[in-house]
Amino acid sequence: MEITREIIQVAAYIGAGISVSIASVTSGVGVGYIAGEASYAMMKQPKAGDLIFRNMFIGQAVTETGGIFSLVISLLLLFGGFDVAAGGLYRFAAMLAAGIAIGFGSIGPVLGSGYTGGQACKSIGRMPKHGNAIMGNMLIGQALAQTSSIFSLVVALLLLYSTPLQPRDASLGHIVAKSVSLLGAGLSIGLGTLGPGVGIGNVAGRASDMIGRFPDQRPSIMRTMFLGAAVSESTAIYALVISFLLLFAI
Amino acid sequence: MEFIARAAALLGAGICMGIGALGPGVGEGFVAGKACEGIARSPENASLITRTMLVGQAVSESTGIYSLVIALLLIFST
Repeated sequence: MEITREIIQVAAYIGAGISVSIASVTSGVGVGYIAGEASYAMMKQPKAGDLIFRNMFIGQAVTETGGIFSLVISLLLLFGGFDVAAGGLYRFAAMLAAGIAIGFGSIGPVLGSGYTGGQACKSIGRMPKHGNAIMGNMLIGQALAQTSSIFSLVVALLLLYSTPLQPRDASLGHIVAKSVSLLGAGLSIGLGTLGPGVGIGNVAGRASDMIGRFPDQRPSIMRTMFLGAAVSESTAIYALVISFLLLFAI
Repeated sequence: MEFIARAAALLGAGICMGIGALGPGVGEGFVAGKACEGIARSPENASLITRTMLVGQAVSESTGIYSLVIALLLIFST
């Protein structure tokens, strides 16, 4: 089949749509959860209103990171000048896969850091005196949860910028296998970061909550949080390894 | 037509690792969250709780490693 410029553009439009639509759904849920918990905490503890409000804003900004990554990739897909027919089927698959990677990849990190931010707001409402300790823990936890969205961003950018052009004399079998393996790389990192993101968000959220309740135990709570988050992150790293193998070793 | 099988194996590797990483990630995060809670509530049992957490996470991780093995098999031995 002749791959024309229009067919490549179809892939770019579908990829951009997948990426930004999924990311906007999850960003809405995550950011909204933080605002909801913050409102409830303000009702309970109106005197700590400023502190809770500040924490809510910072938490929402970090949570939004996954959505911004998706927006960047979809703008690149639309206006980055990738729609050249010379790329062939490789380019078609890579553009679709970039949208899938960052779109699905934003679900877990955004939901996870949203949960962390919400629990931190609740915890500050209960214990305004320890607001700084809780906010520090929240930021560390959200950063850990967002790591996996950075994995997705790396794979999406690699798909856009370092996919080889389709060779002229390649056999049909080779072309189809390589294109499908690019799609597989996007699916692997996109779905693979979902679990770790949600899991690490859960760890960091529980840790923020408990630092508010038992401030004396902060060192041991944070140690357990780091340990648990590191183990939980391992599956995202497996997914990254499989993506890299599918991108470069096929 | 054998390239269809090869293409399906490569797509399958991606889906396998992607969906396979979902469960262990959520599960291990849940274990570690509960462990943070337990250590905060009874700090004297911290070492016992950490040990239980790591054992639970190791068991939970096994399905992630199964997915990794299957994905590697699909990539390199089909």
